[in-house]
Amino acid sequence: MKTVILATAIRILIPIFIIFSVYTLFRGHNHPGGGFIGGLIGAIAFVFHTMTHGPQHTVDTFLKVNLYGYPRQPNQSRSLYLMRMMRVNVWRRRKMARHPEVKHRMIRIESVYIIATGLLLAVTSGVFGLLSGQPFMHAYWTDFYIPILGKPGTPILFDLGVYLLVIGVVLKITFVMSEE
Amino acid sequence: MFLAILAGFLLAFAAPMLYRWLGKWVFVPMALLPFSIFVYLLTLAPAVLNGQNLGELQAWAPSLNINLHFFLDGLSLLFALLITGFGTLIMLYAGGYLKGHPLLGRFYLYLALFMTAMLGLVLAGNIISVFVFWELTSISSYLLIGFGHDKESSRSSALQALLVTGLGGLALMGGMILLGLAGESYTLSELLERGDLVRNHALYLPALVLLLLGAFTKSAQFPFHFWLPNAMAAPTPVSAYLHSATMVKAGVYLLARLTPVMGGTDEWQYTLMLVGGVTTVLGALLATQHTDLKAILAYTTISALGLLVTMTGIGTAPALEAMVVFLLAHALYKGTFFLVAGNVDHATGTRDLTQLSGLSGTMRYTATAALLAGMSMAGLLPFFGFIGKELLYEATLQESPFRWLLFAVSFFSGMVFVAVAIALGFGIFWQRSTRPTPLQHPDKPLLYLPPVILACTGLVFGLLPGFFVTPLLRRAAEAMLGVEQVFELALWHGFNLVLGLSLLTVLLGYVVYRYSNKLLSYASRFNGLYRLGPANLYQLGLNGFLTGATKITATIQNGYLRSYIAAIITAFIALVVLSLSRGGPRLELANRLPELTQLRLYEVVLLMMIIPALIFLFKSRSRLTSIAIMGIIGYSVALFYILFGAPDVAATQLLIETLTVVIFVLILHKLPAFTYLSHASERYKYVLLSLAFGAVMTYVILIVKQYPLDSQLKAYYGQSSYLLGQGRNIVNVILVDFRALDTLGEIVVLAVAAIGIMAMLKLRMQKGDKP
Repeated sequence: MKTVILATAIRILIPIFIIFSVYTLFRGHNHPGGGFIGGLIGAIAFVFHTMTHGPQHTVDTFLKVNLYGYPRQPNQSRSLYLMRMMRVNVWRRRKMARHPEVKHRMIRIESVYIIATGLLLAVTSGVFGLLSGQPFMHAYWTDFYIPILGKPGTPILFDLGVYLLVIGVVLKITFVMSEE
Repeated sequence: MFLAILAGFLLAFAAPMLYRWLGKWVFVPMALLPFSIFVYLLTLAPAVLNGQNLGELQAWAPSLNINLHFFLDGLSLLFALLITGFGTLIMLYAGGYLKGHPLLGRFYLYLALFMTAMLGLVLAGNIISVFVFWELTSISSYLLIGFGHDKESSRSSALQALLVTGLGGLALMGGMILLGLAGESYTLSELLERGDLVRNHALYLPALVLLLLGAFTKSAQFPFHFWLPNAMAAPTPVSAYLHSATMVKAGVYLLARLTPVMGGTDEWQYTLMLVGGVTTVLGALLATQHTDLKAILAYTTISALGLLVTMTGIGTAPALEAMVVFLLAHALYKGTFFLVAGNVDHATGTRDLTQLSGLSGTMRYTATAALLAGMSMAGLLPFFGFIGKELLYEATLQESPFRWLLFAVSFFSGMVFVAVAIALGFGIFWQRSTRPTPLQHPDKPLLYLPPVILACTGLVFGLLPGFFVTPLLRRAAEAMLGVEQVFELALWHGFNLVLGLSLLTVLLGYVVYRYSNKLLSYASRFNGLYRLGPANLYQLGLNGFLTGATKITATIQNGYLRSYIAAIITAFIALVVLSLSRGGPRLELANRLPELTQLRLYEVVLLMMIIPALIFLFKSRSRLTSIAIMGIIGYSVALFYILFGAPDVAATQLLIETLTVVIFVLILHKLPAFTYLSHASERYKYVLLSLAFGAVMTYVILIVKQYPLDSQLKAYYGQSSYLLGQGRNIVNVILVDFRALDTLGEIVVLAVAAIGIMAMLKLRMQKGDKP
C-alpha cells in the first residue's frame, strides 16, 4: 500500500512518535501514560512504516546496525585498537564505508531480541530487592530529580522493560503478519 | 552417604564424555565407582554390625519436614552392599557385552543413574526421598529397557514397564503421604518406633492398600507380573542387574522396611501370603512353558519374588530370617545365570534352550559358573542356596493354619527351580552332545569373570556362613523384627524332616527335568488362557485409553476459535446464572429507574453511535467495513473511559483499537473472499449467545452498582501511591510497583504469545508431519 503522502508523512512523523512515546513512558509515574501506553505509541510508528514501505524496508531502516572494522595492526595495543574501532563505528561512518580495507558487517536486531531485553530489564528491576535481602520487586528510589524524566528508581526500570517488550511484541506480530 | 550418591549422579552424567575420551576402557572408571562405594560401605559395616544405626541429614525442604535423610541399618546395608557389589561386576560385564556399541556411553549413563537411584532408595531415611529415588529407578529402568530403541518390541516393553511401575509409584506416593499423616512423621527412624500408632490409625488400611500396590507393581507380583518377562528386551547386563538382583527387589525392600511399622496385622499377612503364593506358583508354572533362556529366568525370578513376599507376609522370626537368606542366595545365583545366559547369547547368537547343547567344551569358564550357580539354585549341599532352601522349608513348616499350603507352594517352586537349574546349569553345557552348538567367538575374560566371581561367592558363603554373612543377615532381620536376632547359619542341620524334604525336591525336580519336553508340548494348550491374562487386559486398557484420549481431544480441541470462545462464554453465563439462582442478590429495578434522568447528553450520543454500528456490523458483507465499524465501537468505548475518569485505560484502549485496525488491514488482502460458510441458523445461534452474554453482564454490573462500594483500597492506594510509590498516577504506580509481580507475569504472557504467533505462522508444518 504505497501512497506518497503517507510515505512522506511517516518519515517525518516517526521521530515525533518515538520522542512522544519516550515522553509518555517517563511521564507515566505522575500523569496518565506509562510503559504500556508508551510502548504502543512507539510501536504504532513502526507499524505505519511497515504498512507503507513493507516489512523488509522497516527492518533495513530501523533494525539494522552496520558495523565497520579492520584487522588489528601487529604493533597496536588492544585498548587502542578497541578505541579506534569505536571511533570508526561512531563518528566516521560514511567515510569508512568507502575505505577498501574496512570490513563491513551488518547485524539485524530481531524483534525477539527487543522482547528479551525488555523482559530482562523488568526482571532485573526486581532483583535489586532480592540482593539486599528484601522481597523480590522491592522498589528503590534515588533522591535526586532529573528534569522531564523525573526521579530514577527501579519501578522506572521496570516500566522501561515493559515499554521495550510491548514494542518488540507488536513489531514481531506485525512483521510475521505482513511477511507472509 | 550423601557424597556417594552425589558422586554417582555426577559420574553418570560424565559417562558419555568418558566414553569419548577413553573408548573401550570406559568401564574402568564406571566400575571403580560402585567398587569404591562398596569399600566405603564395608568400612561402615562394623558399626552397623554392632547394632548402631547410622544417620546423615541434609536439609532439603525443611518447611515441609522433607529432608535428604540417609539411614543405614542392617537391612539397608545388606541391600546397599548387594547393589554396589553386583554393580561393580555388572559395569565390568557391560564393558565386554556391549563392546564397540556406539551408544555405550549412554548405556553407562543410564546404568550408573539407575545404580545411584537404587542406592539412594535403600539408604534413604525419609519416606518422601524413598519415593523420589523409587521413581528415579522406574525412569532409568525405562531408559535401559528401551536401550535398543530401534526395535518396536523394546520400545513397547519399556513403555509397559514404565506405565506399570509408574502407576504403582503414584499409588506409593499416596500411601507414603497417608503413612506420614498416620505416623505424624516422614522420617523413617521415627516411623519405625510408631508402629502401634500407625496400625491403629484410621488411615492404616488405605495407606496399606496403596503401599502394597506400589510394592507389588515394582516387584512384579501377580497380577502385575507381566511387565517383567517383557522387560527382558533390555540388554542382558540390565536384566541381570535390574530385573533379577536389585530393582525388582525394591518392592520387597519396601515391604521389609515397613514390616515394623505396618506389619503384623491380619490384612498385611493374608494379602502378602495370598499374592506372594499365587505369584510363586504362577511364575514357576510359566517358567516350565518357555524355551527362551531369559524368559525362563524371568519367570523363575517372579516365582522367587513371590516367595520373598510370602515370607515377609508370614512375618515370624524364622520366616524373615529365611527371607533375607534366600534374598541373598537368589541374587547370587540368579545374577550368575543371567550373565551366563548373556554369554551364551553373545557367543552363539541364540537363547533357545532346544538349540543349545554341549557348550562345556568351548565355553569352559562360563560353563563352570553355570554349574556352580545351578547347584546353588537347586539347593545342593555346600552352597548358599542350600541354606536358603532349608530355612524356607523350616519357616513354612512353622505352626500356622496354612502350613501345608505354604509348604506346598514353596515345595512346588523349589521343584521347578531344581528342574530349571539342571536344564541351565547342566543340560546345555555338560550333557554329552554329538553336535555342540558352534560359537561365533570364543569366551572373553570380561564376560566370564563376573559370573564366575558371583558363583564362587555363592560357594564361599555356603562354606563359611558364619564369617561375615551371618552377622549382616542377623542385623537385617533385626531391622524387620525390631528385636535382636541370634540365629546362626549353618550348612549342616543334621538328619531331619527338612533335609529329607530337600532331597525329595531335588529328586522330583530331576523328574520334571527329564519329562520337560513333554511338559513343553502341553504348554500350547494353555495359550487360550493368555487372552484372559493381565498382559492382555493391560493392552486393552492402553488401547482404550489412547482411543478415548484421541476422541476427547478431537472434540474439545477442534481448532475452531469460535467454538472455544462459545464454550468459554456459555460456561461463564451458566456459572453466573447458577449462582444468581441460588439466592444471590436481586436487582431492584424500580428504585433504579429514576437514575435514568441523570443521564448526560454525551452519554446518550455515544450510545447512539454504538448501537447503530452494532446493527450495521451484522449486516455488513465486507471485511474492511466490519473492521472499520469495530474500530468505531472501540473508540466509542474509549470515550466512555475518558468520560468516567480513566485516562490510562482510555489511552490504552485507543492505541489497541488503532493497532488492531492496522494489523487487520495488513493481512486483509491475503484472506480469501468473504463468504458465509455456515448456515444462517448457526449465525443466529452466536447472535443469541452474544445477546445472552451482554444481558448477563449488564445485570451483574447493575447489581454491583446497587451496593455502595465499601472498600479501603481506593483510599489506601490514593494515600500511599505518593508516599510509598513516589508517583501521583495511581494506576501506573499500582502497575509497576504495588502489583509489579502481576505485571511481570502479564508481560511474560505477552512475550510468549508473540513467540506463539511466530511459531504458528512462520514454522509451517510439512505435509504429513505430525502436529
